[in-house]
Amino acid sequence: MFRLQGSKVLAVDMTGDAVKAKNGSMVAYDGQMAFKKMSGGGEGIRGMVTRRITGEQMTVMEVSGHGTCWFADRASEINLVSLQGDKLYVESSNLLATEAGLRTGTSFTGLRGASQGNGLFTTTVEGHGQAAIMSDGPAVVLRVSRQYPLTVDPGAYIAHQGNLSQSFQSGVTFRTFMGEGGGEAFQIRFEGDGLVYVQPSERNTIAGDV
Amino acid sequence: MPFREINSKMVEATVLPGQRLFSQRGAMLAYKGEVSFTPNIQGGQGGVMSMIGRRVANEDTPLMTVEGSGTVLFGHGGHHVTVVNLSGDTLFVEADRLLAFEGTLQQGTMFMGSQGGVMGMVRGQISGQGLFTTTLKGHGSVAVMAHGGVFEVPITPQRPVHVDPQAYVAHHGDVRNKLSTALGWRDMVGRGSGEAFQLELSGNGVVYVQASEEKL
Repeated sequence: MFRLQGSKVLAVDMTGDAVKAKNGSMVAYDGQMAFKKMSGGGEGIRGMVTRRITGEQMTVMEVSGHGTCWFADRASEINLVSLQGDKLYVESSNLLATEAGLRTGTSFTGLRGASQGNGLFTTTVEGHGQAAIMSDGPAVVLRVSRQYPLTVDPGAYIAHQGNLSQSFQSGVTFRTFMGEGGGEAFQIRFEGDGLVYVQPSERNTIAGDV
Repeated sequence: MPFREINSKMVEATVLPGQRLFSQRGAMLAYKGEVSFTPNIQGGQGGVMSMIGRRVANEDTPLMTVEGSGTVLFGHGGHHVTVVNLSGDTLFVEADRLLAFEGTLQQGTMFMGSQGGVMGMVRGQISGQGLFTTTLKGHGSVAVMAHGGVFEVPITPQRPVHVDPQAYVAHHGDVRNKLSTALGWRDMVGRGSGEAFQLELSGNGVVYVQASEEKL
């Protein structure tokens, strides 16, 4: 069971089950716990190959035992997402922990990923259960519906879920090349039905410079 | 109780005549009234011998004495500040995490090796705490800094608590601590979970843990 203790600490009460968490993110525990390193990007040989190729190497550890375990990472804000069979797309650097019932994998993002400064691939989480994602500052959840598509800054995007299609938008004009760009040269546009998580901070991206 | 939390990163201290406060040098943000700040060569209380002790122990964070009457705002480096109230027991904390404390508290240094022998010294090295730590004893309150928020984990005899040495902030009460290792063959081949060393705290008391693995 995931619960938040304040906004920056995730407390997990465990009774013999296992959770996956970012490597080294445990800050304290009571009771009995065991930590084992795993690797993200999916299980088995296929997962290993994908990881090598994609560079979406998330080092994950499996925590199992009885008691309460507290997780936190560099004082980032933590958001809980509960999944009922749907799929969450999240940057591996923003994923803190997932429950045992969730599977993680890797998917191709194309140009969007490159513009975010995160590489061409992203992590997917699917199944039933809760996941904890991190953001720099408290995240806002924005709903996207058929009538209202959403456009976000690639550096502020952290995750999305639901039935969304994304496209890459560029506002590059000749002014940009003259060094007169507004700093918002690239955006990601989401269409469909779902939720997008945005943080009140921007990662360093190529888009931010032009 | 002289410390009042203004927000999560600032405390306001009330200074009354005849009551001294100690604070980290340069941590004053603003003050009202007639308050004087004197740099404290001794780095705390207890005379020349304990000053030498602190120098040797490398626990000699520059302190200043705050005296007079008025109110003073303290904050440092944008770190979160937590106020801990002590009623007779001892708080163990790193000197560089101390923002300010009341003059009624007895300051001292503790040798890590005295709890747990050689392992205690190893623990100090690994957790980056050094071989010594600062103790504050008596009645009064202390403002402690941490990166990210702080949460308290109670320690009871039945439930020892394990803490990541980098996330450990302070503890008080009747607590024994030792370094426990979970080193396996995986760590040797570079496939460790990043949680090879833990601080095991057992007994009766409270441990303060920060929401980050960054030292100050």
